[in-house]
Amino acid sequence: MKNIYPAVWAECLKWYRSKILWITILAFIFIPCMMGVLMFVVKNPEFAGKLGLIGTKSAMIRFGNTDWQTYLGLLNQIIAGAGLLCFAFVTSWVFGREYSDRTLKDLLALPVSRSSIVIAKFIFVALWCVFLSVILFTSGLVVGALVQLSGWSGAIVFQNAYLFIVTSLLTILLCSTVAFVASYGRGYLAPVGFAIFTLVLAQFTGVVGLGPYYPWGIPILFSTAPGAESIPLGMISYSILFLTSIAGVIGTLAWWHYADQY
Amino acid sequence: MEDVIRTEKLTKHYGSVHAVEDVSLQVRKGEIYGFLGLNGAGKTTTIRMLLGMIRPSAGSAFLWGKKVGPGTSDLWEKVGYMVETPSSYPELTVWENLEIMRRLRGIPDKKTVDAVIGKLRLDAYRDIKTEHLSSGNAQRLGLAKALLHNPEILILDEPANGLDPAGIVEIRELFKDLTLHHGVTIFVSSHILGEMSKFVTRIGIIHEGRLVQEINADQLEHLLFKRLMVNARDTEAVRLYLTREGYSVTPSENGNLEITGKDATDHPEHISRILVQAGFPPTLLKVEEEDLESYFLRTIGADE
Repeated sequence: MKNIYPAVWAECLKWYRSKILWITILAFIFIPCMMGVLMFVVKNPEFAGKLGLIGTKSAMIRFGNTDWQTYLGLLNQIIAGAGLLCFAFVTSWVFGREYSDRTLKDLLALPVSRSSIVIAKFIFVALWCVFLSVILFTSGLVVGALVQLSGWSGAIVFQNAYLFIVTSLLTILLCSTVAFVASYGRGYLAPVGFAIFTLVLAQFTGVVGLGPYYPWGIPILFSTAPGAESIPLGMISYSILFLTSIAGVIGTLAWWHYADQY
Repeated sequence: MEDVIRTEKLTKHYGSVHAVEDVSLQVRKGEIYGFLGLNGAGKTTTIRMLLGMIRPSAGSAFLWGKKVGPGTSDLWEKVGYMVETPSSYPELTVWENLEIMRRLRGIPDKKTVDAVIGKLRLDAYRDIKTEHLSSGNAQRLGLAKALLHNPEILILDEPANGLDPAGIVEIRELFKDLTLHHGVTIFVSSHILGEMSKFVTRIGIIHEGRLVQEINADQLEHLLFKRLMVNARDTEAVRLYLTREGYSVTPSENGNLEITGKDATDHPEHISRILVQAGFPPTLLKVEEEDLESYFLRTIGADE
């Protein structure tokens, strides 16, 4: 931990000074804002005509009821889907930039072990993603309140908060594979491409019923509130996800330790 | 004297490309070892293997007798390095980039960063984001990172790149001071050969991955070609006269006569005397020594 702390501190400084901090915060505030606009339009159909494309889109999307249960359920699915992509972007920035900025070489021959540097980066990615999840959920609550959704109850919020937290954590666990791809691909492009590919494949595996066995499909399935349309997830699904995450961590550590670094 | 840096048959192959082949060298404590080679000769690959950044295909590198590898993090406590073009986090200031290195290196003294900024004359750029630095100042920042923890070994890849002539002199004097007064051992690669000859104590020449020659700087003088440059009013007559006297004389590109051979270069006064006696008083008489660049090209056979 003594060695990991300065590496985490370094990550925090880079993050604090970067533009990406504000880009990701704005993105995670923007998502519930857009959801709020759509909810508002569905709730007030007379605005649909005035809002043009947004009105048409919101009319096309069938939200069901414009209540808190529906709204928070959508938020959960967003953290599983868009979160997967955004968290992958965050991870690729933390790991891939060392390659693209050519700063990696300064981290390889230090009294701090390479494992400490990698673990510090994982800790930082987890903290950042948790921070973004908190922003998404809290700004979601604020937007929901502004739109004056119906059906507010503490039980609904707590139930959905639980689903949201676990979905976020399951999604964050998958970032380790993105870190490996960023290290292996030595930059940003490969991990972002990988994340898009996993997300597309998650849709496909969901359609053919393999979602519970596909690591990147599991958070999406979990985010669906238990009900008639949800697919139950068993221990096998969680084990697959955890093993994938561990494989990502071990792969990244091994890559930093054993592969030739340029 | 103790070998601080040692390689044993260090080899790196990338498929069919032999980047480094059987390089065995030793650097003693307090030496400045100049590692000379053309671009792509294997200098940087050797340095990366010395720093454990890439694994040798065969052979080993040792620092203070300990084998270098990716897991030897304790070795790097007393090693400062700069590999290729220095890089830094562009959105951070000079001070912040160095502060990260101070913390990662576990240096408790917070004044260390300002001290090294002063030493490398980066005071004016202390709070400037490194994305705005000139290449010369970026090079100074790279050197500051390498010197931050007062290392006992410095491994530097082309440290003079991007520096202006005054900066090159300044860095050269800094290296001399570090070795003379602080016992620092420096392994420095370069292709700026003339500059290298001014401060290194030993030279290793690498070509196409192989260490083709190792020489002490004080031996270099005996290995460099010397020639006597002569001119007079009637150069053709002088050439014929000296040839008759048994000297090897060739006209040079700039209109002078070039005489090789130890008789001429060790005793130019004799040439002067016989030319005056023969009625060809010289207008130019100068012993020229081959520079390191020519010697290097001759050694690797690139001047043919």
